Amino acid sequence: MPEILIQYRMEIWQSIGQTFVMVGISILAAIIIGLPVGTLLFLTRKGKMLENPFVFSTLNLIVNIIRSFPFLLLVVFLIPFTRIIIGTAIGTAAATVPLSIIAIAHYSRLVEQSLLEVPKGVIEAAISMGASVKEVIFKFLYVEARSGLVLGLTTSIISFISYSTIMGVVGGGGIGDFAIRYGYQQFKTDLMIYMIIIMVVFVQLIQFTGTAVAKVIDKR
Amino acid sequence: MIQLHNVSKSYANYQVIKSISLAIHKGEIFGIIGASGAGKSTLLRLMNLLEVPGTGEIEVDGRNLTSLSYKDLRKARQSIGMIFQHFNLVANKTVYENVLVSLELARFPRRERRSRVIECLQFVGLESIMEKYPAQLSGGQKQRVAIARAIANNPQVLLCDEPTSSLDPKTTAEILHVLEDVNKRLGVTIVIVSHEMEVIKSICNRVTVIEDGEIYDTVAIEPKGIQQINNTSKRLVEQLKKDGELDHA
Repeated sequence: MPEILIQYRMEIWQSIGQTFVMVGISILAAIIIGLPVGTLLFLTRKGKMLENPFVFSTLNLIVNIIRSFPFLLLVVFLIPFTRIIIGTAIGTAAATVPLSIIAIAHYSRLVEQSLLEVPKGVIEAAISMGASVKEVIFKFLYVEARSGLVLGLTTSIISFISYSTIMGVVGGGGIGDFAIRYGYQQFKTDLMIYMIIIMVVFVQLIQFTGTAVAKVIDKR
Repeated sequence: MIQLHNVSKSYANYQVIKSISLAIHKGEIFGIIGASGAGKSTLLRLMNLLEVPGTGEIEVDGRNLTSLSYKDLRKARQSIGMIFQHFNLVANKTVYENVLVSLELARFPRRERRSRVIECLQFVGLESIMEKYPAQLSGGQKQRVAIARAIANNPQVLLCDEPTSSLDPKTTAEILHVLEDVNKRLGVTIVIVSHEMEVIKSICNRVTVIEDGEIYDTVAIEPKGIQQINNTSKRLVEQLKKDGELDHA
């Protein structure tokens, strides 16, 4: 174990913990809110079960606007909103607010795309058997699109890790922030490289797991 | 069993179905034939309201589908089975689960579901492969799973949208036998849309010819039975030779 890693082990563990909190909350937001939003984007499209041009174009516009923000600008722009929700705009907890918002926008779009790949005929068969909207979603759409939903979430999680690295601007911490403050600003290039290695390992693990799971559950 | 009163259907400015009235009797196998784009599939899909008519009324088994609430329509659909040209099975569900879902939707008593699924799979001769996924099946097997799924809730009517159009002649004969069984043994009224005259002539009692969204004629016929199809290589060569001499290439 290199000397420098042992020297900074407390800070490194703390940073990893902060990254886990930020990315973990983003994943929860993506699943709890992004999945339903993506499903609604799909269902309210023209020709789909809940066709509704108003709901579709509103959601579509919001998702597009959030995604077109440069992320750093979104973080700063959301500071007043974060303050209302968390009570402060500084720290790891505050950092989860903009991260969750981009997570929802990001994953909902990927959910919509996965659902669009479900053959139209399968949905028709479901309707012909008397399925309700809820049953079509849970017994047909999610079953048929499940590997796409997992791959989309994998891609999203990797983006969340990347987004989380700049949360140092609002004191969110995390490995990225640690690498910049100690590795870059204090000229400890070796420390920065170790941090990059840690992130590469994380991303590899996530991608490998996601791909493997998607493959196992895909029977198509 | 099925009554259409002055039903019409348009997409944008194009009228696919022009005020059709039609009565299909209980227990018959009713054929609908016509050129591509004549509106025959649309006509069939109106019978379970997969397509909502612009005007007119559709009555199935004494219920006026067009006036039902969404909930009652779903209930009515559970006694109208449907099969499709491309089978439309859920690829991520096993054969067993594909049939099971139809019972779940109909709130079929939980404890009896398993035996009912097996019973339906036995009817179509697939009980031995119920743990397989659709991707592992042949086209004919997939269509049989679809039939098992469609009959699971003891429907009064079975709507068949080009059920054999993506199958080879031998498999077509197999599927037609299953459909005939569904009609004879289970007493289900069957409506078949097809562009294949052989299919229509082999099992239908009455046939409507559709042209440009209108009924051209409806005729009663004597079903001539499903032809056994001999597809051995020898037979194929003989058929090729029939139209003149064949040079061995």
